[in-house]
Amino acid sequence: MAQSRRDFIKRAAALSAASYVGISLPINDHNIAKAEQGVSWHRGSCRLCGVGCRVELGVKDGVPMGLRGISDSRTNFGFVCMKGMHFWKCMRHPDRLTMPLYREKKSDAFKEISWEQALDIAANRFGTAFRQGGGEAVAYYGSGQALTEETYLFQKIMRGGLQSNNVEGNPRLCMASAVGGYLSSFGADEPIGGYSDLEKAHCFFIVGSNTAEAHPVLFRRIMRRKLDNRETVKVINVDPRVSQTSRIADMHLQFKPGTDLALLNAMAHVIVEEKLYDEEFVKTYATFRKGKNEKTTFDDFKAKLADYTPEKAAKMCGDTFSPDQIRTAARWFAGSKGTVSLWTMGLNQRKRGVWANNLMHNLHILTGQLLKDGADSLSLTGQPNACGGVREGGGLCHILPGHRLVVKEKLRRQVENSWGVPEGRIPAKPGLHTMAMFSAVNEGKIKAIWINCTSPVQSLPNCNLYNKGMERDDVFIVCTDIFHTLTTQKANLVLPTAFHFEKTGVYGCTERRSQLTRKAIDPPGEAKPEVWIVREWASKLAAKLGDPVIAQCVKPFEGLEEGYELPKAIWDEYTQKLTAHRDNDLRGATYEVLGQMADGVQWPAPTREHALTGGTVKKFVKGIDPMADSESKDDLPYQFYGPAHPDRTLWIWLRDQADPEEVPDAEYPFYLSTGRIIDHWHTMSMTGRIPELLRANPYAYVEINPDDAKKLGIGPGDMVEIKSRRGVNILPAKVYQGPVEGMVFVYWHDQHKDRMINKVTKDAIDPGSKEPEFKICAVQVKRVSGPTPLKPFIV
Amino acid sequence: MPISGVVITGAAEKKQGLLERLGRLSGLEVYGDDDQGNIVAVLDTASSEAMEMLIDRINRDKDVFNVGVTYLNTEDEADRMTLETAVARPFGFKNPL
Ligand code: SF4
Repeated sequence: MAQSRRDFIKRAAALSAASYVGISLPINDHNIAKAEQGVSWHRGSCRLCGVGCRVELGVKDGVPMGLRGISDSRTNFGFVCMKGMHFWKCMRHPDRLTMPLYREKKSDAFKEISWEQALDIAANRFGTAFRQGGGEAVAYYGSGQALTEETYLFQKIMRGGLQSNNVEGNPRLCMASAVGGYLSSFGADEPIGGYSDLEKAHCFFIVGSNTAEAHPVLFRRIMRRKLDNRETVKVINVDPRVSQTSRIADMHLQFKPGTDLALLNAMAHVIVEEKLYDEEFVKTYATFRKGKNEKTTFDDFKAKLADYTPEKAAKMCGDTFSPDQIRTAARWFAGSKGTVSLWTMGLNQRKRGVWANNLMHNLHILTGQLLKDGADSLSLTGQPNACGGVREGGGLCHILPGHRLVVKEKLRRQVENSWGVPEGRIPAKPGLHTMAMFSAVNEGKIKAIWINCTSPVQSLPNCNLYNKGMERDDVFIVCTDIFHTLTTQKANLVLPTAFHFEKTGVYGCTERRSQLTRKAIDPPGEAKPEVWIVREWASKLAAKLGDPVIAQCVKPFEGLEEGYELPKAIWDEYTQKLTAHRDNDLRGATYEVLGQMADGVQWPAPTREHALTGGTVKKFVKGIDPMADSESKDDLPYQFYGPAHPDRTLWIWLRDQADPEEVPDAEYPFYLSTGRIIDHWHTMSMTGRIPELLRANPYAYVEINPDDAKKLGIGPGDMVEIKSRRGVNILPAKVYQGPVEGMVFVYWHDQHKDRMINKVTKDAIDPGSKEPEFKICAVQVKRVSGPTPLKPFIV
Repeated sequence: MPISGVVITGAAEKKQGLLERLGRLSGLEVYGDDDQGNIVAVLDTASSEAMEMLIDRINRDKDVFNVGVTYLNTEDEADRMTLETAVARPFGFKNPL
C-alpha cells in the first residue's frame, strides 16, 4: 500500500468515526474517494449477535478487505463491536469446508464426494428412516443464525413433505422463555417497542444480562444516554455477578442465584404499597391471572405480594443488599418518565424462566411503563435471527410460520392451503422440543437428523449424556456448516455451506426488524447456499419416496438461480402468503423495499408505504401500528390484538419465587453460572478461527470471588476442578470481584474437552417453555495445581 | 497493516487526562473530540494482533467506558490474498477429518 494511499485511508477512517458523533474534521471528501478506489461496498447485517448492526463489506478484486458501520442505520448508527468487525474473516479462511464429506460409519474417515452423491445419500437415508418410522423417525435441528428463507424452507419440507413436526432450533436453548413470557403477559410474541426507546429512557433496569459484553453496540447507546444525562437517567443493574455492564450503574443489586423472582415481586410490592402504579392504565388494559384460565383480582395480587416485603425479599436474596435499596429501585422504575428493562439468559435459561419473564412484564404493566416513548420491556436476543427465522418463520416444534400454533386446526389448514398440499398433511401434534429430540436420538427413535448451522454436541446442557446418542451408528446425521465443529465429528454427511454475504437472505433482530443481506462474493470451492441444498434434496426425496406432495413443496422454486432469485421467491411466499394478517405481517417488506433501507423494516408492515417508513416502532398503538387501527375494537388508543389473549388485555401474573432445580448442598456447595465473553461467539467455530479474537481470550477460565478463593486456597491462574453430578472441567482460575460469594462463573465457548462447561451444566427444563436451566447448577470447586500452560483448541 | 477509525468514550470531565495518555500510545492518532467525552481516533498498526492489543490497552484505561469501532480496512491482507502469497495461517487450521 503506497504511503499516500495509507494516508487517504486514515483520513477516511477518521471521517467515518467523526461522522457518527457529529464532530466535523477539516478533511474533505476527496480523501474518501481516493481511499475507495477499486473497492465496492456491500450492505448487509453483522453475522453475529441479535443486535442486528448494519454494516458494509468492502470487496476489492473479489476479496473482502474491510468493514464499516452504516451511520443511517437505526440499529447501530454506524458503530460495530470488535467481534462484529472481524466476522468476515471467516470468508476466506483456509479451514472452510469446500466439498461434501461422507462416511458410512462414524468411526470411518470422511471422504470427499460430489454434490450429486451427497444429495442422493441424504435423500436415501431420510427416505428410509421415513418409510420405517414415519415423521417421528426424522428431525431437523436448526439455528437462530440461519437465514429466514433457510429455516422456512427446511420446516416446509419437514412438515409438508415428511409430515413431521420434529422441527427445532437452538433458540429453544436461549429464547423460548422470552417467547412464553411475551405470549402469556402481552398476548403476542416479541417486544412492543425497540431500540429507539433507549435514547428516550430515564431509567434502565438491566437484569440477567451483561449487555456490555453480549450486546456491545446497544450498550454503547445506553451508556451514551446515561453519560449525557447523569443526574436524570438512572441505571439499575441486577445480577449475581458484577460485570462490565455494572460500570455505568447507579445501583447494582447482587443476589443469590435464582432468587430474582422474589426481588421482582418485592419491587411490585413497593409499587403497590406506595401506590406508584398507574391505576387508570391497569384498570383499562390489564387483568390478573393465576393460571391461563384462572382470572383473579388486584386484591388477590396484593395479598400475594405480602409474602414479598422488601425485608423478606432481601433475606431470600441472600442479604446482599438492603430492603431500602429495593424500595429505591422500585421508585426509580415506577417514577421515571420512561423505563426500559433489558434482559437475556439470566432470566430465560431457568427452570422458571417464563415466570421470571412474567414478573418482569408485571412491573411494566403495573406502572404503565409501556407503549410510550422511552418505555419498554425488552428481551434482548442472543442470535441474529432467532426472532426472524425461528420464532416468526416456524422453526420450533409447536409453531408454524406467522406465529401459528401447530395444535390449531384452522391455522394448520391455512398453511397447508398456502403450500398447496393436502389438508391433514401437517400432523396435529407438535413435534419433540430440543431436549426431547436429543433424548429420542439417545434412544435411537430418531433415525435421521439434519443439524444446520449449530453444534449441539457442545451447546446442549449436560452434553455428555446427549452426545452418546449422536455417536450411535443407527442414527444418521447430516450437518450443514461452514467449518468443522464438534458436531460434524459425529456426522455421517457434512455439507459445505455459503457464509453470510456469500448468499442472500433476511435476518430479523431483537426489535422485530427484518434486514436484508445480499450476496457480495462467491462461496469458496463447492460450498452452496442452504436453500439450494434443501431444494435439491427435497426433489430427490420426492423421487425416492414417489411422493408428489414433497415435489409440490419445492415446485415454486424449481430452476431459480440460487444467489438471489431463489431466496427472493422463498421470502415472497413466506411473507405474502403466510404473514398476511398475522401479527408479524411483513407483506410490505419485499426484497425491493428492504434493499432500499439502510437498516430494515419493523413488523407489522402490511403495506409497502408503511414498510418504507421503517415499519412499526411501537406495536399496539393506534396511529403508529397499522394493525392497532385495522384490528381496533373500541375507541381506546391501545389495542392488544395478539393471538394469545382473546380478551385483548395485558395479564398481570401471580407468580411465586421458585428455586432452581439444583441448589448447593454439603456435597456440591457452590453455584455455577455460565455466559458469554465479548470476543467470542457461541461454540467458537468462527471466532476461534480469527486470530485477533482467539488471542484475546484463548481459553475459558473460571471466575471466583476473592473471598471464596481465599477459603479454598486458590490463587490467580491455579488450575481448578469444577465438578457437578454430571461432569467435570479443569480450568484456570481468575480471582475476581465479579461473582457473588458462593458462585463461580465460566464462559461457555471453549471446545476443549477439559473446559467444555456444558458437560457440567444441568438439563432441567422450564415446564412451559422447555428451555433448559443453563444458568444455575451446583458444583464442587477444588484447586488441583498451580498455573499450567494451556493451548487453545479448535476442532 | 490494518487501519481503523474509532470513537473512544469516557467521562467528559476526565477527557483531558485521557487525551494525554492516548497521545502517548504509538499507532494511535487523535483527530478530534467533543464536550460529551467522545474522542475520534485512527489506529494504524503493523498487524491485526497489534490492533487488538492496542484496543485492549485503550479499553483498560480507567477513564474509558467504550471503544466504538466504525471502520476497519485490511486491504494489505486482501491484496496478499489476491496475489495468493502466504497470509499467516490462523490458529486452528488442521487437515480435514
Ligand atoms: S453488537 Fe452484535 S450485531 Fe453489532 S457488531 Fe457486535 S456482534 Fe455484530
